[in-house]
Amino acid sequence: MTYKQSRRIFLQKTALLTGGLFLGSHFPDIRTLANDQENMANTVRLGIIGSGSRGQYLMTHINLIPGIEIVAVCDNYQPNLDKGVEMTGGKAEAFNDYRKLLEKKNIDGVIIATPLHLHAVISIDSLKAGFHVFCEKAMAKTPAECLAMYNAQLETGKILLIGHQRMFNPRYLKAFEMINRGQLGDITQIRAYWHRNNDWRREVPETGLEREINWRLYWDYSEGLMTELGSHQIQVANFIKKDFPRRVTGTGSINYWHDGREVFDNVNMVYEYSDGSSLIYDSMISNAHYGYEEQIMGPKGTMELEAGKMYSENPPPAPGILQLLNNIEHEIFDPLPLGGKSWIPETAVKEKGEYIYEVDLEDDGTALEMEGFAQMIRENRHSDVLLREAYYAAIAALLGNMAIKKGEVVTFPEEYIL
Amino acid sequence: MKDLVIKGKWIKRELIVLTVLFLSAVIINVIGIVKHDTRWIEMLSQLHVVFILTLLLYALLWLVRLIIFVVILPFRKKNK
Repeated sequence: MTYKQSRRIFLQKTALLTGGLFLGSHFPDIRTLANDQENMANTVRLGIIGSGSRGQYLMTHINLIPGIEIVAVCDNYQPNLDKGVEMTGGKAEAFNDYRKLLEKKNIDGVIIATPLHLHAVISIDSLKAGFHVFCEKAMAKTPAECLAMYNAQLETGKILLIGHQRMFNPRYLKAFEMINRGQLGDITQIRAYWHRNNDWRREVPETGLEREINWRLYWDYSEGLMTELGSHQIQVANFIKKDFPRRVTGTGSINYWHDGREVFDNVNMVYEYSDGSSLIYDSMISNAHYGYEEQIMGPKGTMELEAGKMYSENPPPAPGILQLLNNIEHEIFDPLPLGGKSWIPETAVKEKGEYIYEVDLEDDGTALEMEGFAQMIRENRHSDVLLREAYYAAIAALLGNMAIKKGEVVTFPEEYIL
Repeated sequence: MKDLVIKGKWIKRELIVLTVLFLSAVIINVIGIVKHDTRWIEMLSQLHVVFILTLLLYALLWLVRLIIFVVILPFRKKNK
């Protein structure tokens, strides 16, 4: 499915959602989002700070969207800067220092796709310089930095959107709506995981740049799996629970990639919400069999958000004729039992489930999120709900690492509750 | 090569057989609905299953006919 098709479905879906009270206020006004001609007339000019792999990924999506122009690109690594400028057809102005870019007056907003340790300082500087900001997840490297970013938004009134693209993914929106309507009952447990089988390394062309290029592997730059992957899924869990985790405990280690990295190559967490329900989370990079998934469980059913499927605890019975034929088949072909069953194994229910969203989407929400950010700029409308989501997800991810390092249960600090 | 002649009588007989099998499948559907206490709308919604079952029964009937034919064949030759 093309981006245009995904977009049309998103608009239809969001139009339905805005009719209710649940999600509508979180999103830009879709009536204007849908108006391409008007958007072209009000082109949003953006600067990219950090045109590495993630920055380039975002630029690829931005290039699909009418009414957004990238006028400046900044990166302190020359190959990335050159590539970034090339992706704009050579039109964008190039900068090595983001502070120089922030002196420009013809830019409406900036997109920050730098290593995690720079998110807070660049975001705050950008907001204070009068720019709207889209910053990649996770929000920041410490809870204090997250709070400082949140306060900078309050102080400046500018838009601050953090890159949790699942909030713009039609499949997730549909699932959120169904869960909110109570189709799973009260959510009693969420299980989420993100498994890969690679070393998470990038090629380092020059000596001395190992830490700058493979920044995800070192504590000075990154918080590892918890912020790079976990924060996405914690955000989804928080949004579903309409809460944030009050306590967390877990383990983590380097158990496979003994290659000089510092961050854990596997993490295993238990987060507890205020109602006693839990998010059980794990991430590893030495086995990719299960991929990634969020499993939402309640007394009425289960949802797998990545697979986009729902499994009812009490599925409707099969048609009578099929049950009858099935029984006949079992009577003929099943082996005769020697005695009555004294114990039935509680193995997983073999139900195929139903798709919660039939359409196969090409976009994971990133392009829609970019378009949403541009529209928020046009409307000068900040979403506090989306920012709080990112804030609590980031802090929960960071607390996870703290719990692992301390080897104890960590409680969400009072001073960081908004 | 010998021409095969399909007589109207044979077609009529096969159509009757098919009708009987279809009605049998419909009855099986009714039994399924009653026995498993499912909805009567399945009389319509499960028609595709009824048709498939009819064809299966018809194929089964042909198999039985074939077996009978193979068993009887030596006796026929003897009588001739």
